[in-house]
Amino acid sequence: MQGGSSGIVYGGLKYQARCISDVRADAGSTTFLAGTLSLKEENEVHLIRLSPAESELVCDGLFYHPNEIWDLKSCPFDHRVFSTVYTSGDGYGAAVWKIPEQSGQSNSSQLEQLFELGGHTGKIRRVLWWPLGKHDKLISIDDRNIFLWNIDTSNKSAKLISQGSADMLPNLRGGAWDPHNHNSIAAISDSSLHLWDLRSMDKSIAIEHAHIRDVDYNPKKQNIIATAEDEFGIRLWDLRRLKHPLKDLPGHSHWTWTVRHNPEYDELLLSAGTDSTVNLWLVQVSSNDSGPDSPGSPKRQEEPLLNSYTDYEDSIYGIAWSSHDPSLFASLSYDGRVVLESVKPYLQRK
Amino acid sequence: MATASGAPQPAMDEKARRTRDLLASFYNTDPSAAAAAGAAAPASLARPSPTAAPASPLDSINSTSFDPEIYMNVLVQQSNLEGLLQRHVKMAAEIKNLDTDLQMLVYENYNKFISATDTIKRMKTNIVGMEANMEQLLSKITSVQSKSDTVNTSLFDKRENIEKLHRTRNLLRKVQFIYDLPSRLNKCIKTEAYADAVKFFTGAKPIFEAYGDTSFQDCKKASEEAMDLVIQHLQAKLYSDSEPIEARAEAVVLLKQLNFPVDNLKSNLLEKLEDCLLNLQNEPTQASIGDISKTFRAYLIIFPDSERRLIELAQALFSNRYETVRENLKKRISSTDLLAMLRSLWEDATAIDEVIPEAALPAFSLETTRDIIRQHIATAFLHLQSEISDALVRTNSRPNEKLDESQLQTAMDTSKIKVSQGCIDLLQEFHHLIDGNTELLVKLRDLIIDWIQEGFQDFFQKLDGHFHVLSGRSKSFPQESSALDSVQIDKVPTVLVLILAQLCVYIEQTTIPKVTEELASSFSGGGARSYEYGPPFVPGEICRLYRSSGEKFLHHYINMKTQKISKLLNKRFTTPVWIKHKEPREVNMFVDLLLLEFNGVVSEVKQILPGLIRRHRHSDSTGSTTSSRSNPMREDMLNRSNTHRARSQFLENHLAKLFEQKMEIFTKVEYTQESVISTVLKLCLKSLQEFVRLQTFNRSGFQQIQLDMEFLKSSLKEFVDDEAAISFLLKEVNNAAHERCLDPIPLEPPILDKLINAKLTKIKEQNQNMQ
Repeated sequence: MQGGSSGIVYGGLKYQARCISDVRADAGSTTFLAGTLSLKEENEVHLIRLSPAESELVCDGLFYHPNEIWDLKSCPFDHRVFSTVYTSGDGYGAAVWKIPEQSGQSNSSQLEQLFELGGHTGKIRRVLWWPLGKHDKLISIDDRNIFLWNIDTSNKSAKLISQGSADMLPNLRGGAWDPHNHNSIAAISDSSLHLWDLRSMDKSIAIEHAHIRDVDYNPKKQNIIATAEDEFGIRLWDLRRLKHPLKDLPGHSHWTWTVRHNPEYDELLLSAGTDSTVNLWLVQVSSNDSGPDSPGSPKRQEEPLLNSYTDYEDSIYGIAWSSHDPSLFASLSYDGRVVLESVKPYLQRK
Repeated sequence: MATASGAPQPAMDEKARRTRDLLASFYNTDPSAAAAAGAAAPASLARPSPTAAPASPLDSINSTSFDPEIYMNVLVQQSNLEGLLQRHVKMAAEIKNLDTDLQMLVYENYNKFISATDTIKRMKTNIVGMEANMEQLLSKITSVQSKSDTVNTSLFDKRENIEKLHRTRNLLRKVQFIYDLPSRLNKCIKTEAYADAVKFFTGAKPIFEAYGDTSFQDCKKASEEAMDLVIQHLQAKLYSDSEPIEARAEAVVLLKQLNFPVDNLKSNLLEKLEDCLLNLQNEPTQASIGDISKTFRAYLIIFPDSERRLIELAQALFSNRYETVRENLKKRISSTDLLAMLRSLWEDATAIDEVIPEAALPAFSLETTRDIIRQHIATAFLHLQSEISDALVRTNSRPNEKLDESQLQTAMDTSKIKVSQGCIDLLQEFHHLIDGNTELLVKLRDLIIDWIQEGFQDFFQKLDGHFHVLSGRSKSFPQESSALDSVQIDKVPTVLVLILAQLCVYIEQTTIPKVTEELASSFSGGGARSYEYGPPFVPGEICRLYRSSGEKFLHHYINMKTQKISKLLNKRFTTPVWIKHKEPREVNMFVDLLLLEFNGVVSEVKQILPGLIRRHRHSDSTGSTTSSRSNPMREDMLNRSNTHRARSQFLENHLAKLFEQKMEIFTKVEYTQESVISTVLKLCLKSLQEFVRLQTFNRSGFQQIQLDMEFLKSSLKEFVDDEAAISFLLKEVNNAAHERCLDPIPLEPPILDKLINAKLTKIKEQNQNMQ
């Protein structure tokens, strides 16, 4: 399974997997968490660390997870805490876990469940942490509702603060928390994107008629989001002017599954798709842009696609930038292969 | 040595010169020169040189300082006897000559002296008696003078009388003239000698002014009446067009002399002309431009100061006429008609120009013609664009109602023909513009060529933009999208997008080369203006534009189709609860819908895109062989795996994949039926796989998927020849379902066959019922 690419491959995941998350709170090294998706086997969460020599990815911890993991997010302020969304049979659940102290053992150990985010009736889609650091709130999204939790990891407790209902909207699919504003999230449903105000749980401005699969906020510039859509590939929007997108990127030859801004160089976008490729884009957007580009100009722009990583065997559902070294990213293909790539060669070209 | 050659020359002149010298010395005209010559001679003599010796005695003999002694001595010393004898003879002859010359001179002078004496003698005798004659003359003259004085004094009184009488007579004659004036004027009127009449009247005018109120009242009245008549006649003459221009001009002059307000007349006439010109505009057949130019000429002569007004009139006339031509442009007239109009206008302009060059009509015409032709070219392109667009929109609105078999194909063909024929027609139209030999067109030729080239460049670019608007892909043309409102954009027929894609290819591959060739052959040249950006028409750029647009449209088409199918699949996979699925009884309905959609795609694609070019079949065949070879093996594996644990199944699948050639699902799309169809199919099956992966199945759910895929496998064969990829993808779907199944036990093959056959017979029955 060894590809001829420059990427560092981690083959430790034995089962299919969908989610990988950067451990942002770990300041000392490039670390990722990946969870498997196996219906019948015991699922695992792998703590994957880039060795100090930056030559290989090593398993820094292997933990059993009772159910197959559909979503996994590392806590942005405590590197040992993470959340998962899982299914068991026909039921769904979401929980926050803590990696036990004696991590680093080669043998897998049990995770400590801090608390469960109960009360969901529908299919749970996502758990969102506020992306930039310490915040005592947590969001969980299911088909119909958005829950806002007040959490206390030390007390192992989570208290439901408020709840917003999708009402007439089609099923919710996921969302992203605005890094510039504690009170705003962008939630996507089957055919639209809405901004929610967490204080009032009101939905506001929206992108209609868009089959959005993923959304990501620009970490540096306010009001800029990127969406991965079925019809249009990747589009960048200014939330103050949602009539026309700022930029259109072609996306992938099949579904564009996910899109992520680089945490440091916000012009770099990473997208992964079911066509088994990861694309690296360079998109310059100024938040003070006077509006969408004039019709003629896009032709004169240089090709936004910097590189397409194609050395994958299966669809890719998970990508994560390393916040420790923003020139690195990890991708997880469905067959359970984690590949760490560096974008340095493309950074210099900028 | 000098003498050897020079000696004969001086010898020839010797005699003449000496005679002259002698005479000169005789009259002593130049004593200094003679003295100098004399001084020179002894100097040369002093030098005893043998060659100079024979010359020196000859020189010195004529000089004043001639010394016979020395001469003799030299002669005797230098010459022999014979020489001396010769010299003697010669000298004697010379002396004789000189003597005769002298004698002649003396004789002549003597004669003159004699005749002078005679004359003096005669004068003396004549002068005697003159004095007496003079005195007699004086006395006579004094007597004449006294007599004349007496005559003069005696006649003085009478002369004064005569002069007075003469003055009276003149006055009487004048009075007579004035009394005669009315009748004379009438006579003039009768003979139409208006000039004389005016002359008479103006002559009498001061008198009338002075005494008109008193003595000549009647006379004045009568003559003024006559003059009124004259004025009337003159006016009539002026107004009548039949009169010769000179006569009319004269009439104006006469009227002016009579202090008649000519300006009013002029403005009246010009207004009349204006009306006439207006009529000409409305009914251009009525008067020819020749008449007008004649009138212009006449007025120019008649009223030399009316030029400005005439210029204005002429300019107004032409700007109005050009305006009508412009108006005609909107009605889309043919180039030949336009040219005819412009040419006639140009000719008219030149005709008028001959009369009043100050109006600068040719320049104006040229300018306007340029604008009009430019506008014409622009509108021609615009019309073509809208025609093409109309053709496209028409075709896309129709097939929604009933999807006839060859209808799309004909639509495709018509739009193709529209584009290429339109371009060719346009070129032919423009040909007329270039071909004309009129001076006008020759001047504009380069510009026209530039415009045409520019026009094509612009046209193709705009057309491309328009295509994008039509396809609904580009919403960034707010100014144009007002025509097609957003609702329409939202439901752009997919067929149209496909047609556009194919049209782009057609334009790129056929139309543009044709146009380029045509342009090169008949519209070369140009470059009247400097282009910093290179030539106006850049086929390469346009080709690139259309190639990329074509690809975009093709992708867009595929995208739209797969979107639609994807929605179908989405509904299929998200609605049921797969984990509580019931046992499969028949092939699911969604398969029918899916096949229906595929059928739709196939029928659209087959009509529009070019048919089979079996060249990539080759590259695909390798994949197909490997996968078909691996087919039974994997089938076995699947069957056997019932008992196996899922974990090993997963690994085995991976192993199998390892040995199988990596299937290229996302290949480049080409403009062929097969490529497009198989791309759509592949993308849909891939979506299917992804949808399956998002679900969790129970055994029955898995079996349902297995059944559906098995049926699809047999049905999809007829659509594509890229069987390998399809069966690979179908198997992937199966695998995905297998992976996502809690209890993956497949249907037994006999049951599978039975269910499929049941479905097939059902379809057959349906078809029969339909027929």
